[in-house]
Amino acid sequence: MIDLPRHNAKFCAEHLQQLCRRQMTKAIEDFDMLSPDDRILVAVSGGKDSLAVWDMLIEAGYHADGLYIGLGIGEYSDDSGGHVRRFADERGLALQTIDLREDYGYDVPTASRATGRVPCSACGLSKRRLFDQAALDGGYDVVVTGHNLDDEAAVLFGNTLRWDIDYLARQLPVLPAGRGFPKKVKPLVRLTEREMAAWCLVRGIDYVVEECPIAAGNRHLSYKASLNAIEANSPGAKASFYLGFLDRMAPLLVGRSAAAAGELNDCSRCGSPTTGEICAFCRLVEKSSAHEPVPVEMVLTRGRRR
Amino acid sequence: MDGDRTVNHLLDALDLPHESHLVICNGTLVPGDARLADTDVIEIRPVISGGS
Repeated sequence: MIDLPRHNAKFCAEHLQQLCRRQMTKAIEDFDMLSPDDRILVAVSGGKDSLAVWDMLIEAGYHADGLYIGLGIGEYSDDSGGHVRRFADERGLALQTIDLREDYGYDVPTASRATGRVPCSACGLSKRRLFDQAALDGGYDVVVTGHNLDDEAAVLFGNTLRWDIDYLARQLPVLPAGRGFPKKVKPLVRLTEREMAAWCLVRGIDYVVEECPIAAGNRHLSYKASLNAIEANSPGAKASFYLGFLDRMAPLLVGRSAAAAGELNDCSRCGSPTTGEICAFCRLVEKSSAHEPVPVEMVLTRGRRR
Repeated sequence: MDGDRTVNHLLDALDLPHESHLVICNGTLVPGDARLADTDVIEIRPVISGGS
């Protein structure tokens, strides 16, 4: 059993699952995320959210394959990949895998050192590009990610602290398909990390509990901690903040993201949309694959949390 | 740690935020007001993931 203060109730295993199903269904319906016939590609990392959303979509009758990207973050990536493969094998699900080192000649720690980007930036750029490409190449209608309420509230918090209006305009749970980009949706945006972890526990889903060693101590985590401190004193605050933004602020920013996008060309290397001659991903691959491999220990941040 | 305390008391004693942890007692997920005994095997599982 779990207590959920924001719902002012305790939930047994059966009713927790019911709650989660209803919240995902509501998100899908409210934002027109998915159609029953959609071919879905789920971005899976081995963590609780991506495995949970894959589990929930399959249970709901959607056709959903998984894509795992091996990021080369030492033992953490080895462990993550193992969890994903076991999850897929146990359920007979179709899983594609990409390994950055084998397929592109680099990994996230090396890319961070080669390009001067913080590791999370190199990681995000690589994942976004490769998920988009895999979805387009495989004829998928939509990419699903496991971003949850805590994730979106933290991003919203950061964008609001900086008053980054362009990012705020793009922070929606559905990103429509465009030239070179598949449709991307986030069905878990009405569910918290605690609820998703509980879903995995009651469903017997073995996920990676350990935090990514490179992400530890980053700003995003500090935003989450701040929001959880607010939530402790005001249950439901995170949902009110994020869902209220979607309901009352996001409509006022419609059109701004398109206007801010600028003119796009085709990358001269890979053909994907870019504002320059060569896209950021191709530039990252070029620099990183030529760099001597860097062990993950060399890019761990100082003063990270335990 | 001595038992006969609730899950919430345990988290408070360890300075762990409730919203970012689940508590599993003897293999079962338990709510904040569940009482813990000295013989219980407790797992405190953090739920916050670091990716942005």
